[in-house]
Amino acid sequence: MQEFLQQVVSGLATGGIFASLALALVLIYNAMGLVNFAQGEMAMFATFLALVLIDHGVSYWIAFPLTLAIAFAGGVVIQRVVIRPVERAPVLTLVIVTLGLATLVNGMAGFLFGYVPRSFPSPFSAQTVNILGALASFQDLGVIAVSGVVLVLIYLLLQRTTLGLALRAASHHPEASRLLGIRVSWMLALGWGLASAVGAVSGMMAAPILLLQPNMMQTVIIYAFAAAVLGGIESPLGAVVGGLIVGVTVNLAGAYVPGVGGDLQLAVAFAIIIAVLVLKPNGLFGRAAVRRV
Amino acid sequence: MTALLELEGVHAGYGQTRVLHGVSLSVGEGDIVSLLGANGAGKTTTLRAITGGVRWDGSIAFGGRSLRRLTTEDIIRLGVAHVPEGRGVLTELTVDENLRVGAYLRRDTAAVARDYDRVFDLFPILRERRRLSASTLSGGEQQMLALARALLMRPKLMLLDEPSLGLAPLVVRRIFDVIRDINQTDRVAILLVEQNARMALELSTQAYVLEVGRVAVQGPSSQLKGEESVRRSYLGY
Repeated sequence: MQEFLQQVVSGLATGGIFASLALALVLIYNAMGLVNFAQGEMAMFATFLALVLIDHGVSYWIAFPLTLAIAFAGGVVIQRVVIRPVERAPVLTLVIVTLGLATLVNGMAGFLFGYVPRSFPSPFSAQTVNILGALASFQDLGVIAVSGVVLVLIYLLLQRTTLGLALRAASHHPEASRLLGIRVSWMLALGWGLASAVGAVSGMMAAPILLLQPNMMQTVIIYAFAAAVLGGIESPLGAVVGGLIVGVTVNLAGAYVPGVGGDLQLAVAFAIIIAVLVLKPNGLFGRAAVRRV
Repeated sequence: MTALLELEGVHAGYGQTRVLHGVSLSVGEGDIVSLLGANGAGKTTTLRAITGGVRWDGSIAFGGRSLRRLTTEDIIRLGVAHVPEGRGVLTELTVDENLRVGAYLRRDTAAVARDYDRVFDLFPILRERRRLSASTLSGGEQQMLALARALLMRPKLMLLDEPSLGLAPLVVRRIFDVIRDINQTDRVAILLVEQNARMALELSTQAYVLEVGRVAVQGPSSQLKGEESVRRSYLGY
């Protein structure tokens, strides 16, 4: 039982990382009807920038918000420069553009920072604390807390502020929103900025565990995609719940299902995607797509 | 006195297809003007040209200011509310959120609160359904929501695209009463596109009849209503 609880806590920590990246995917999906395949690479790049800051003597808790601000600005710029010109293009064009962006960002990171995995500092100690008989590391609890705070802030922004309202209106109903005076194009850029910042959180939380190198996020984004699909791809809350479920499931499967170990965990994520698509095609929090014909 | 909205020789279309061939019309402050005509005559395109939803040539001025080169958002911010075909209800949001988007640009909080009371007086059903998703509303209720939201924008001019479309006669009656009320109580000028020519002519003071992208007939509504030949040729009743 004790070990089970420990696995759950560490699964929640992994889940928090998946949830952040999944939320980033959902924010973009709502804005352009497509996941941003470059989301993980953008998060990785932001994490490298954080490392540069920290290497220059900036303390972690100053580098953290600074990186989020840079990631936000970067997301806005990418939307204005790369995405906006192809906004009305067919979906396949957009797929190629975001895939190209992923390759570009990955290559740039390799060029600038090299491919040797680097250790990334964690603000949390590796010591453990006893909770209800289970040993939880401060590292895991810290990741859960940081992801939790970020996700709550995003939720409050979207649901409780006028800006969030305009953002939701613009992403779901661009034409109607324009007729209500909402500057839709800027709202979409804002969505990209937010997604980029939330993604950067997942990158900075993942880096101490995975070691920072240009391909760091490539498995993470698959888990995040599984989480987003599980939650219903359009639902921010679904992305978070989906992320936690995927994190815990994958962790438990790795620990208890014989043969899964570390290598087959990704297969478990795929199994989750397939099971969801078969049993509940719209995900846990998704709505059935209703179309008048 | 210059009119609130003035179109002169407006040409517009989609890609290669020309829809408007020189439409001129004007709406004075506080007026209700009907824009009538058969399907495909260019009524909706005229409204879309006004709020920048379609490329156009000629001249369109609102409050004496040319709308050329302004984005849709900028035109709306000048004081134009456009309830499009299909009502433009944000079905992903709740009824209350739809109304809040209507008041999104306003900073006069106290007046917004009064306007909320006003729209809930006009449409008590919206107060009951505030927390529900707008997608759960019936067609008539969605039209009411669209009108209520347009009123919350406190525009000088409302463009209404077929508010009666697909609604039961009793509901249509109610909607038209409210349009008249908004015009008289809130001093909002209205450009009304309608298939239901008989009701539109009862409501409006001036009317234009479009035929394949041109104004075929224009004049005071009472006069158009009275002319047998106009009624029969263009209005179909």
